[in-house]
This record gives sequence, structure tokens and C-alpha cells, in this order.
Amino acid sequence: MSPVVTQGELVWATAVDLARLIAGKDVSPVEAVRAQLDRIAALDAGLSAFITVCEEGALEAAREAEQTVMAGGPLGPLHGVPVGLKDLFDTRGVLTTGGARKILGARIPEADATVVARLRAAGAIVLGKLNMHEFAYGPEGLNDHYGHARNPWDPLVHRIAGGSSSGSGVAVAAGLCPIALGSDTGGSIRIPASLCGITGLKPTYGRASRTGVMPLAWSMDHVGPMTRSAADAALVLSLMAGYDPADPSTSVLPVPHYPAALTGTITGLRVGVLSADFLEAAAPAVQDAVRAALRLFEQLGAVVDEVRLESMEHVPVAAAAIVASEAFAYHAPWLRRQPGDYQRDVCERLRLGAFISGPHYVRAQQFRVVVRDEVNRLLARRDVLVAPSTPITATPVGQVQVSIGTTPSDVRGALLSFTRPFNLSGHPVCSIPCGFSSEGLPIGLQIIGRPFDEAAILRVADTFQRATDWHTRKPSAVAAAPPLDPARTVGGAPRHD
Amino acid sequence: MTSAAVEGLARAAGLVLSPDELQALAPVVARTLEMLERLEWLPLASAEPATQYRVL
Repeated sequence: MSPVVTQGELVWATAVDLARLIAGKDVSPVEAVRAQLDRIAALDAGLSAFITVCEEGALEAAREAEQTVMAGGPLGPLHGVPVGLKDLFDTRGVLTTGGARKILGARIPEADATVVARLRAAGAIVLGKLNMHEFAYGPEGLNDHYGHARNPWDPLVHRIAGGSSSGSGVAVAAGLCPIALGSDTGGSIRIPASLCGITGLKPTYGRASRTGVMPLAWSMDHVGPMTRSAADAALVLSLMAGYDPADPSTSVLPVPHYPAALTGTITGLRVGVLSADFLEAAAPAVQDAVRAALRLFEQLGAVVDEVRLESMEHVPVAAAAIVASEAFAYHAPWLRRQPGDYQRDVCERLRLGAFISGPHYVRAQQFRVVVRDEVNRLLARRDVLVAPSTPITATPVGQVQVSIGTTPSDVRGALLSFTRPFNLSGHPVCSIPCGFSSEGLPIGLQIIGRPFDEAAILRVADTFQRATDWHTRKPSAVAAAPPLDPARTVGGAPRHD
Repeated sequence: MTSAAVEGLARAAGLVLSPDELQALAPVVARTLEMLERLEWLPLASAEPATQYRVL
């Protein structure tokens, strides 16, 4: 271990710092990977963040990376940096289940997903595969087969991590890896980012390839990074984004070097606050935190005004119709042959797709254009829009109803309500932590940008993070790596390669 | 939509539902279709659907 970096500091280092330490020979890739593996071994029985831990493969890659450093070889921007992958990203020779143990519990892909291959080419080391809501179809992040990932911010109550990229949210928040990849069809990156207090980036539809990523709904699926800082998200997106001939949805637009956009200033930035149906519909603690963030934006030189998304009323049903139809098309053979092998809530949701007619689907896709055009109009005179990421903080596992102020709501609908408009529209969105509730639970803020202007939302997120410390706070239950009590957790131990 | 209609559509789609599953699903289907019908009232005729075939 380097004398300048303790193991405790190592597991909480950002990817940018870790890559710099490795390139400077202050830390060996083997030390970095070993530190994360030790932490996973100590904590994950209580967190259920991982489905598979690639211990041997990660250590072998780390040893090779160390040799390259010592030989003075060329180093990628993420050389030796560990990364976790939601278990729907194909990984060559490594179990990839989609969180569906009974249906895909033995599935081993022959090739990496395009974005995984790109991160490996940049030097990243795959630590393992992360837990998720089965087949990515649920915003709570529950998994009956591999255990429900546990939100690390509450040491006493087993709360949801948010989903569907629940393991990605937990792993990054608990210091099990500095970077994770997630997918987002209705909020599946931003919801766990919000509930777990980390940074999550859903890029523009078409910015990053979905080749080798298990689909939920092709026309709504996005993939992106989940990190502990906007600077890390910028670096990772720079490396994973770009045209992929195997994914016809990807854009040929060139990929900027996003870290260069992080100037630390937002003077004169025009910010539209989605007030009605978003901020005003959130829980009081969420409203307070977001309003405080808006005051900070103004102090930093931004010009803030209120805006409204008029098409919100029909967003839930249009999004549900598209996702259910496309998901049913993918799942129909299994739903007919082995419906009992799904976890119950996912099976129920998937079956709904059988009842959406062709005209209904097309009508929903027409409505989607209305939403896109309206968001574009709002952004014509503003640089970004902002809103809470979720109206509520993490709820206990099993809770299905919640009161938002005095208004009763179902947890699932509430979690999705602020995020899925931008899956319909395809705009890029970054969720960052902006405060905590009185119970100590994280609160997330969404920053929405113009199509393919991830640079702007990352600059806003990074500037906010330079002025605040919400993103650097650590869950007390895992900050010093005391194992959580597995007896209090509804989960299971991860598998090892 | 009646439970019998839901059962018929499910069968046509190749799905086998138990009575309990049918009872749980029928109101969800009815509510969803009712909300989808509201999209019919919107002026969408000139909106090209978001999903398009591209030859290149």
C-alpha cells in the first residue's frame, strides 16, 4: 500500500483521482482492486449489491495493468480503475442474468457489450455484476432471487435502493466501486442515484450504445454512468459514448471530451425550474432541499425562472404503453412457457403489454413527439431545466403506499413520476445529490439539458458539487466498513467467479 | 373491459391466467385502456410517431 493513501481513502477515491494515483505510481491497480474486493467481502452480504463478483478476473486484469504501469506502457484514462456493471450488460465469459435467476441464471455471453468493451479499452477493470430489479422492470430495485439491494443510508431499516439499477446505486454509495454502469428506461439510473445519494447520468437517447445490453424497451432504453461525482460521470461518458454500427439508434455526432466542459462557472446560465407537477408535487423535505439548491444556483450567477410541462398529464400512460408493448414483445416466449419463473410484480407488469393494441402503441409514440417538442421549446430560451429527481426519499422494502404531504400515492408511481418524461423525450439528464431528509436519507436533483448537450448539464452538476459537499458524504453505517448485520437484510451472498 | 374479454385476449396472446391472476389483472387493464383512450382526444394526427424505420 502506498504510504500516501490508506485503504480507507482508496475505496472512497473518485475515479479521476484513482486514475491519477495509478498513473503516478502512488497506487498499484492490484491495491485498488484488492481494496474494493476486501470491502465487498466485508459488506456485501448485508447490502446485496453484487450478483457476481469477478475476483479472479479482476485481480488478473489488475496484475496486467500493474505490469503496464511499471513498464511505462500507454495508459488509458481509466487504467486500473475498478468498475461494476448492472447485470444486464453482457460480459464475455461472465454470468449475465438480468437479475432473472430462474430464466437466465446460467447465461454466459460470448462478447462484451459495446460500452463495456470501450471501458475495458480505456483501462477499466470489471469488478463484478450488480443487482437489479428483475429484467430492469421496477423502480424500487427489488429482486426476489438475489435479494433486495439495501440502501446503505439507513443502518436500522432495510430501505429500497431505487431501481432498477439498485446494485449500481448501492455499490457506488457504499464505496464498493467508484464507477458503475446502469440502464434507464423510466428512471432506472436517476432513481437509485437519487435514493442512494450519488451522481447518475442518463445521456441523450442515441448517445451511448445499447449493443449487448439486455433490453427492456428498445425505444426508451438508455445506458449511462453512476458515480460519486459529476467529474467522474463526465470522464466515463467521454469513454463510453459514440456511434456504434451495431446499434442503429446511436448518433454519428462526435463525442466531446466532457471533462473539458467542467469550467466551474455557471454565470449567466438560464435555469428553468419545473415547478407545477414536479417541485410542487414533491414531499416537503424534497422541496426544501431543491429550493435551497435553486438559491445556490442564483448565488453562483444563474438566472432562474419557473416553467411548466403541460403534457405531463398523459406521460404516465404513454410511457407505460410503450414500455409494456416493447417489453411484452421481448418476453412473450418466456411469459407463455414459464411465467412462474418471474418474480410476481414483474410478471404482472409484463402481461399488461398483451392488452396494448397496435394503434395504442402508435398513438403513444405520436404523443412522445409532443413531449419532446415541448421540452425543446422550454429549452429554447433556457440552458437547462431542473426538478427533483424523485418526489420522495427511500421507503422501507415492502411499503407500497406513501403520503406526499397530505396526498396518498403508490410508491412505484411516485418514484417514476419525475424521471420518465425524459425517457419519452430522450433529453439528457443528470441526477445529483442536493440534500438529506431529517431521517438522513438522500435527496436528488435532476438537471435536464438540450439533446446531445451533456456538456452543459455536467458543467452545472460539477459547479454545484464544487460549492457543496452533499456528494462527498458517506453513509455512516458503511463509512468505516463495519459489516451490516445480514440478519437484518432480505438478501443473499454474492456469487464468485 | 370485462374479465371475460381480458381472459379471451390473454388466451389469444398465449397467456394462461389463474382466476386470481385474472381478477387482479382485469381492473389494471381496464384502467390502462381507459387512460389510453384519452390520447385519442389529443390533436396528434400530424405527429409522426417517434419510431421510424431508417434504411441507413
